[in-house]
Amino acid sequence: MNKKGILIGIIISIVILSVIVAYSSSSVETENLDVRTYGTVSTTMGSPIMGDSSAPITIVEFGDYQCHQCYNWFHNTKPPLFQNYIDTGKVNFVFVDLAFLGRDSPKAAQASYCAEDQGKYWEYHNHLYNSQESQIDNGWANSERLKAFAFSLDLDMELFDDCLDSGKYTKRVQYNIDEAKKLGANGTPTFFIVGPDGQQQKLVGAQPYSVFKQVLDSMI
Amino acid sequence: MMQTLKLVFSNYFYIVLSSVIFTFMLIGLLVISEYIFLDPYLIGHIPQGTEFGFVLIVILSILSALVIPMNIYRINILKKSKGKMRSSVFSSFIGSIAGACSCGPIGFAVVSTFGSVGATALSFLTNFELPIRVGAIGLLAFTYYTTVKSLKIECQVI
Repeated sequence: MNKKGILIGIIISIVILSVIVAYSSSSVETENLDVRTYGTVSTTMGSPIMGDSSAPITIVEFGDYQCHQCYNWFHNTKPPLFQNYIDTGKVNFVFVDLAFLGRDSPKAAQASYCAEDQGKYWEYHNHLYNSQESQIDNGWANSERLKAFAFSLDLDMELFDDCLDSGKYTKRVQYNIDEAKKLGANGTPTFFIVGPDGQQQKLVGAQPYSVFKQVLDSMI
Repeated sequence: MMQTLKLVFSNYFYIVLSSVIFTFMLIGLLVISEYIFLDPYLIGHIPQGTEFGFVLIVILSILSALVIPMNIYRINILKKSKGKMRSSVFSSFIGSIAGACSCGPIGFAVVSTFGSVGATALSFLTNFELPIRVGAIGLLAFTYYTTVKSLKIECQVI
């Protein structure tokens, strides 16, 4: 009886320890990150918030740095959207990675978080979309180029190289990809616009400014 | 050339067939290539820098709508070989998928289903979207030329 009791105790201890270890390892990357959820969309592992964090509406973009439609949206729709809604404090914006297009896509996403470590996430993000070339995986976003982009933004290269080479944000990017899939985002760019009362509108593709305007104006 | 077109499209069936092919190809490709959006509002736009892609889709749709019915006519009326038909359908298909596979749901499904092989194929189709479309249009134009020529001979069009 005693032996049985000890055995059961050991098994229970192992199970509890396993749960604790699993929980602590999965929460490593969430340290120092606020839990941010808009409607059904978790952006905790996504970009920092662009714009007024207390704005009543949030736009979450799921994108890939090698996606040419994301490039089109970045250059055609984003400028008037930011000018009229983000800069005026009506809306804020978060970018979450859905890096699936090529082998360099996850690496580029990881590099953006390495830049975030040095407070330059959005500068790096913009630099990537301004530097995108039309061909996927042709080398424009390989490790050397990603480091060159960091250098051109005056980042501390020792820190950046360590971060990128160690794969520090591999799990974070994968988490974001899984989150996108859970939400049913199956292409880039996909947007979730979450309003003040929790109402949520999904927009698929590089839709023009007029569509965003109509959706946002209906929520304000 | 006009005589040959008149010969084929004097039959109402081929006009309808041509219109259906043109409409489905044009609207389908414009939706897939994100020139037209259906949800949440029906809207069309041509982003800056993508005008050439738009023009290629229109040309591809027009040529497909001409060449495919002409070859069906050859097969139905003249009982000729299906060689040209195969080449015209092949060109239309290749030209279509070149732009369809990109960052959208089709590309995502390809990568999710076929993994790295799918990603490589997707990259190829995306990277060479415009040259592939131009090639498909070239092949369709050539098929159109040879079809008109053979119809002239086979139907003794003056």
